[in-house]
Amino acid sequence: MLSRVAETLYWLGRYLERAENTARFINSTTQVLLDLPRDAAFGWDVLLKVAGLDHVFAKHHPQLAQADEDSIVSFLIEDEKNPGSILSGIHNARENARTVREVLPMELWERINSLFLYIRDNAARAKIGRGPRNDVLQGVIGRLESIIGLLVGSMSRDVAYQLIKLGRNIERADMTTRIVDVNSAVRLPRDPALASVATERMWISTLNALSAYQMYRRHVGVHVVANAVVDYLLKDPHFPRTVLQCLAEVEGCLSVLPDHTDSMRRVRQAWRRIEQMQLDDLKPTVLHEYLDQVQSDLGAIHTAVAKQYFHLHQQANGNGSGNGHGEAVGQIQAQTA
Amino acid sequence: MPIELLNYPQPNTYDELIDDQLQPRPAARALFGYLDRLGSAELVARREAVDAVIMAMGITFTVYSEAGNIDRAWPFDLVPRTMSRKEWDRIDAGLKQRLTALNLFIDDLYNDQRIVKDGVFPLEVLAGSKNFRAQCKGMSPRFGVWAHVCGTDLVRDADGIVYVLEDNLRVPSGVSYMLENRQLMKRLFPELFKSSDILPVDDYPTQLHDTLAALSPRESPHGGRPVIVVLTPGIYNSAYFEHSYLAQKMGAILVEGSDLVVQADDCVYMKTISGLRRVDVIYRRIDDDFLDPDAFRPDSTLGVRGLMRAWRAGKVGIANAPGAGVADDKVVYTFVPQIIKYYLDQDAILPNVPSWMCMYEDQREHVLANLDKLVVKPANESGGYGMLIGPRASAEERLKFADLIRENPRNYMAQPTLSISTAPTMVGDKLAPRHLDLRPFVLQSDRLYATTGGLTRVALREGSLVVNSSQGGGSKDTWIVDIGEE
Repeated sequence: MLSRVAETLYWLGRYLERAENTARFINSTTQVLLDLPRDAAFGWDVLLKVAGLDHVFAKHHPQLAQADEDSIVSFLIEDEKNPGSILSGIHNARENARTVREVLPMELWERINSLFLYIRDNAARAKIGRGPRNDVLQGVIGRLESIIGLLVGSMSRDVAYQLIKLGRNIERADMTTRIVDVNSAVRLPRDPALASVATERMWISTLNALSAYQMYRRHVGVHVVANAVVDYLLKDPHFPRTVLQCLAEVEGCLSVLPDHTDSMRRVRQAWRRIEQMQLDDLKPTVLHEYLDQVQSDLGAIHTAVAKQYFHLHQQANGNGSGNGHGEAVGQIQAQTA
Repeated sequence: MPIELLNYPQPNTYDELIDDQLQPRPAARALFGYLDRLGSAELVARREAVDAVIMAMGITFTVYSEAGNIDRAWPFDLVPRTMSRKEWDRIDAGLKQRLTALNLFIDDLYNDQRIVKDGVFPLEVLAGSKNFRAQCKGMSPRFGVWAHVCGTDLVRDADGIVYVLEDNLRVPSGVSYMLENRQLMKRLFPELFKSSDILPVDDYPTQLHDTLAALSPRESPHGGRPVIVVLTPGIYNSAYFEHSYLAQKMGAILVEGSDLVVQADDCVYMKTISGLRRVDVIYRRIDDDFLDPDAFRPDSTLGVRGLMRAWRAGKVGIANAPGAGVADDKVVYTFVPQIIKYYLDQDAILPNVPSWMCMYEDQREHVLANLDKLVVKPANESGGYGMLIGPRASAEERLKFADLIRENPRNYMAQPTLSISTAPTMVGDKLAPRHLDLRPFVLQSDRLYATTGGLTRVALREGSLVVNSSQGGGSKDTWIVDIGEE
């Protein structure tokens, strides 16, 4: 496997996962808004913070404070200036898939291509209102799920497959921590009764954003309380979007790749740290610190993977093919330079 | 008369599918029988389905000038071009004969130059060749073969004779569209292939693989499978789709120049996730000029430093070999009948289009006096660029071209304006005649192989003779039909 191709596949996995999570997240946030009491403050800019895109947004929208639902959601869905928008992500995934078509199942390119055409042609419809937006985003999510289904059902578990899966799970774990983190940014109503309702609504929304509500109810209980949700989403070993489950997948992928000692060590380190987290009596600031720690551990895994597998290619070019995700690629370049 | 042809104009040149009585030619009879049963409404419906299928399959080509939108859907006409197997068999033999002779010629030019010494091929033509690479002198690649992949452009004139228009020996493209066109047709008209004897085309990737594998310098690395790579200039190249497609179909690895490195042992390696891995054969889709900054253009970033050194040391096979383009020159082209006679002692099975060489004074005068009737081509351009179509040019353009010819006569040759053949093509909901050519692909290494048919390119604009996809051309599936003739 060429280093360049390896990097392209890894980012293909990340781009697709990020697009799906962004779509899920917008939909679940829209849902929670309907349920929150009037005076619970919820700025749409929380979405930007969660995605780590508030700086990018501010660059193009100087009046961040006045940013409304329409401008923020449109920025997240279809703004080409936003490298993290769903449209940009799918566009990048498509370009990446195009450059490595020869290692992918034939139909995969067709699916990604038609997904790109779908979002490009329907982005305008998503601006009409919340109803059409939900439809369009559901369309995106369904297509992305069918792409993953195609990979699972028709691709050999070869190195190419493992790299896509590796990228997908690192991105997925990262997005899970970000979606959990959104709750630390919400200001609750002063009335304790209202605050308690609002808190429950928010955590239900978090579970929904990760398609985890049903499984949470089956395996944890019907009462949605912060500590239990955080514990579930970080540590549950069975649900496919929890951080530990993603790390288990990452470990499985790495075990198939050559020379994985360093990357494996990083995965185990992240794993141990999460297991040791005390989640019983959780303050929002502590939660935020924990999540930061997990994100930085995931970053360390990414850096180790990049150094081991994409290194040769990046030495030659000084530039990754992971176009779009500026921070991460920049990090790697700084390391190899 | 089939109903589709009710409004079809009387052909004013040879029509590939329709005879002078507006009846389908024998190889097209089954097709028109089918179209009749299908009905024209259904035909239009399927044509509308084509664009969606093409977009979904992502069959595209790239146009450099369209920044921001790097690929366009491949324009495809769903009425196939048909030819009888009997006629094709003769063309097949002619193509193989031609490539065999051209390879003997190239090998001779880089070694003893017997053909020049024997006075058959003039030294001045060789001296003026942009594509003669001094760096290749004294080399003798395996099997004496330099051009392993050749795309030969054929046209039929009003007289019904099929002529060779040019030989593309550098990095000919289009074969992936030939293969995809057939896939498209099977998707759109599955019923047709059940009932007709249409010869298959899909063994090309296997043949190409084996042609390339034969060039491996190592006996049996990795249990007999040589490491073959397709070297592409990258995603912005107009034929990128094809590079990726062929790599995929051959199970080869698609690489860019930066993926390869030549080490001190003169071997070529690719950079993989487990370190460097040796490469045996490179199917390169990069022009000589950009292949190796040490040997050719020093500013090239597309190629691989030291690649020529590796090739000369016999450590890697390269197809087509560097320097093979010397025979891909429109002035050299005019000598091909003599070249075939010289090396094979045979008459050319496929005729050249009669040509005048501007380097000879008498012929140049004829060309200059008849610019309004002739097509003038520069020796080393491809894609239909830089040529003059006399009858369609303005007086001013012709004057400008006359100056170009006088400045550099070696660089130009001229041919009569052919009345190239047409075939029914869907225009709106009707069939109308459009001009077309045919590009078969011929392979040579330890074997000789020609595609069954080839890529039919069609000029979609009424009356246009330019079939290049970069200039408004489209394509059709090409059917070689077995109608039981002996």
